[in-house]
Amino acid sequence: MIKQAAKPTTLTAISEAEAARFLLRAQFGTSEGEIAAVRAQGYAAWLEAQFNSPRGQKGADWLDAHGHNAVTAEARYFWPQAGDYMIWNQLLAQPDEFRQRCAFSLSQFTVISLNPIDGYWPPYIMAAWWNVLLDEAFGNFRSLLERVTLNAGMGMYLNTKGNLKEDAKTGREPDENYAREVMQLFSIGLYELNPDGTEKKGPDGKPIETYVQSDVTNLARVFTGYDHDMSRVQYKKVAWQNFPVITPEFTSDPMKLDPGNHSKLAVTFLGTTIPANTPAPDSLRIALDRLFNHPNVGPFFGRQMIQRMVTSNPSPAYVKRVAAAFADNGEGVRGDLKAVWRAVLLDPEALAAADPKDALHGKLREPVQRFVSWARTLGLKSESGNCEIFATSGQEGLGQSPLRSPSVFNFFRPGYVPPHTAIAKAGKQAPEFQIANETSIAGYINFLSWAIRWGYKDMKPGYEAVLPIAHDPPAVVAWLNLHLAANQLSPASCSLIATALASKNVTPDTPRDAKLDMLASACLLVLSAPEYLVQK
Amino acid sequence: MTKIVTESVSRRTMLERAAKLGFMGAAAPLAVNLASMGEAAAATAPGGDYRALVCVFLYGGNDHPNTLIPYDKINHARYMAIRGGVSFQRKDLDATALKPIVPQALTDDQQYAFAPYLPRLKILFEGGKLATQLNVGSLITPVTRAQFDGSNRALYPLPPKLFSHNDQQCYWQALGSEGSNVGWGGRIGDFAMASNDQSLLTCISAAGNAVFVSGDKSLQYQISPSGAIKIETIQDPKYGSAAISEALHQLITQPSANAMENELAIIARRSIEMEGIVNKALDKVTLQTSFDTVPGDNSLANQLKIVARLIGARKELGSRRQIFFVSLDGFDHHSNLSKKHNELMSKVDEAIAAFYVATVEMGVQREVTTFTASDFGRTLVNNGDGSDHGWGSHHFVIGGAVNGGRYYGTAPHVSATSDDQVGQGRLLPSTSIDQYAATLARWFGVPDGEMATILPNIGNFDGRYLGFV
Repeated sequence: MIKQAAKPTTLTAISEAEAARFLLRAQFGTSEGEIAAVRAQGYAAWLEAQFNSPRGQKGADWLDAHGHNAVTAEARYFWPQAGDYMIWNQLLAQPDEFRQRCAFSLSQFTVISLNPIDGYWPPYIMAAWWNVLLDEAFGNFRSLLERVTLNAGMGMYLNTKGNLKEDAKTGREPDENYAREVMQLFSIGLYELNPDGTEKKGPDGKPIETYVQSDVTNLARVFTGYDHDMSRVQYKKVAWQNFPVITPEFTSDPMKLDPGNHSKLAVTFLGTTIPANTPAPDSLRIALDRLFNHPNVGPFFGRQMIQRMVTSNPSPAYVKRVAAAFADNGEGVRGDLKAVWRAVLLDPEALAAADPKDALHGKLREPVQRFVSWARTLGLKSESGNCEIFATSGQEGLGQSPLRSPSVFNFFRPGYVPPHTAIAKAGKQAPEFQIANETSIAGYINFLSWAIRWGYKDMKPGYEAVLPIAHDPPAVVAWLNLHLAANQLSPASCSLIATALASKNVTPDTPRDAKLDMLASACLLVLSAPEYLVQK
Repeated sequence: MTKIVTESVSRRTMLERAAKLGFMGAAAPLAVNLASMGEAAAATAPGGDYRALVCVFLYGGNDHPNTLIPYDKINHARYMAIRGGVSFQRKDLDATALKPIVPQALTDDQQYAFAPYLPRLKILFEGGKLATQLNVGSLITPVTRAQFDGSNRALYPLPPKLFSHNDQQCYWQALGSEGSNVGWGGRIGDFAMASNDQSLLTCISAAGNAVFVSGDKSLQYQISPSGAIKIETIQDPKYGSAAISEALHQLITQPSANAMENELAIIARRSIEMEGIVNKALDKVTLQTSFDTVPGDNSLANQLKIVARLIGARKELGSRRQIFFVSLDGFDHHSNLSKKHNELMSKVDEAIAAFYVATVEMGVQREVTTFTASDFGRTLVNNGDGSDHGWGSHHFVIGGAVNGGRYYGTAPHVSATSDDQVGQGRLLPSTSIDQYAATLARWFGVPDGEMATILPNIGNFDGRYLGFV
């Protein structure tokens, strides 16, 4: 049925470190069982198994189960923070970890943010959004694009909700926000690309713009007439406010068209004309098909997925192979995201051993990835299951908070070049460095030093896998180096860490708390080390 | 930490409050400070060798039509007609209608009012400490509407990716599209580094990484609103040990052959080295001025407060020439403009006024010039309950050295069809960022002959210095 994108592998072919390296890209953490599974099954078969493994609990169901649907005088239905709890629970605890990682990558390509999503039920809006990304993570980009477009949260974030057709009498024009960003960020980007992701150049030697303002103004008409679908919503009178509380069905239902508010004008964009008076659903189909079939999408999207999961500076040939998989999954289907993940993760360039002479290999792990990786690998558990982790983007926090990008431009830009660095001198990019600075580096270590020892609210670290070897610092370091860093810490660093840990004098009989002091220290040293922070 | 999103204060209450503040209330100390300005300035040792530029970046594209609003009857009626539901009634503007110090004849005899939520800035304007630069924006060369509509891009090049957030943010900060990594603030800083005992404290951002404060030589140093962040475990092992703290220090600062690892180590070394120096100096600063005069969090005020404190520590730190960057997010008001823009204007008003008062308190108001910048202006035409990405915009310059209480540049017509806009009331800038920047750079001390190294296109514009400072 599905073609193997890589040669079948045998246990002996994949080392423990290679398996860990693969897992740390494809998901967040590693376990001994997962490393063994990858070694036994081979990379490709392991991926196929993940594609076919069951979904975790949906965000909305988790919110319900934890009482976040309660309608009380406290009016929590306006509060955002359960949205944070929801996404942290998904990332930290749901079993479909590979799918979660893919969705996390998608969430940085098509971006909405809890700040600012306001009004009724922000947590359910974010849960529905996350569910779209999870649903479509193994689906098709065209379907993803349509569901993103009609998603209730996206409607709020980029103003398709309530977007009205032009009105000659008042001079009102359709809102251009979604029309612009769906082109600039969610599909084709600013400049014409070659299939390998490099920019095409015009006769004047300059990049060729994919669209101009009139394309935006025209496309904006396609996205008029939509609003939240309130048809399943129930209105409930309550004593504590003089307007009804509504039920959250609107958060997960696609936005609904009111044909009366939809522009009937012709739409000319990217060389396509949608005739005047075309029914709105047909306009939407034609417009999204046009975007989806634009040759930029494969390299534009594919390169960013490589950056999220493997390396900041993929070779053009690598991008071209991923773009080719996007264009055709081998069965003539365009936009198959499973084919994209296979191409990203199984590419020879990804799987080749890191070249120690390549000083620019790899990517900076982003803070959320680091924390989730640690939590999944060392066991962060909540007795109540509440997962009360609030926004962590502050300078005294992790420095990044999932689904809380500061804008639709994500936490960092794919083309970010940190000034005054060897990276810049080499003409390379390092997106995650956009949030690395004197403040965030210190804030991250401070956040870690607390969280990895004491946990977060009622979530406590277990350290089950390493407690039995806590008396053996070199063994602890070796275990952490493999499971968190795919053995990418140098022998010198491992020895430095082990020697420092020996100062804690842990023996097999040392009380558990003192062992935890030592193990948390071990994790702090590993997770702070640049050799860990750069994923290679 | 609980953030409850509800309709907190009604529009009317907000307006009433703003109107009151304009005359008394929390703005009173500002008025008093302004009245005693002369004395305060006199108290400052003349020639005190310090200069600072402070960029207040309004991310998302500030809605200039609801920031500086046509107030005379005729133009206000035009504004109402085009803006529809996102406009201010004329009576709402009475309290913030502006009286220039010297009468000025503007296009179509326009008079302006500030947004009703800028009562403090009105006081600064009328006290001569705030100037308004009209219709400034990204340009490579002066362009007319006909040239914009024409296709001769060789003769009339346009800035790359007009109307795009990230690219125009970058153009405002670095005069190039995204990917540019030298900003004009940083280039000014390059000239000033040698003046400072700590060259790293030349270009400082309190708002995260921003290309504006990255120079050819000068680096951007990041500070948080609470000061420099200390890596606690290095100084206090807590549950670890002294050996573990020492290992942490070594691991995060040791050089590496991998360029990304090495850059992280460089940042960590800077973080650790500067933290001790900066926080020690900040500890000695006492600042009476309140940056919290309005209920609610104000991240811009918090950032400007740390900038004020760093200025307060200038002697201790040996700082003589500094460029600061602070920002406020959330200006992309495609919808719900009336409510959300008002909230942000209040924050801008509170923060900038408090910062000015703090400079008066420290006797450096003549040595510190603050200016606003933003991705772009917005459409005058409304899209229902918001506005769209535009181009030219109006901006503020504040400080004791500012020739304030007046407008600079050319007032645009209140129109969606005139030749000073390019559709839907997107202003075609009549003043370039280069001129705006050159005026600030000149005041800061950059010699005229060096201006083109900071602003490569400045030679394309006649009248490079606008005179507002």
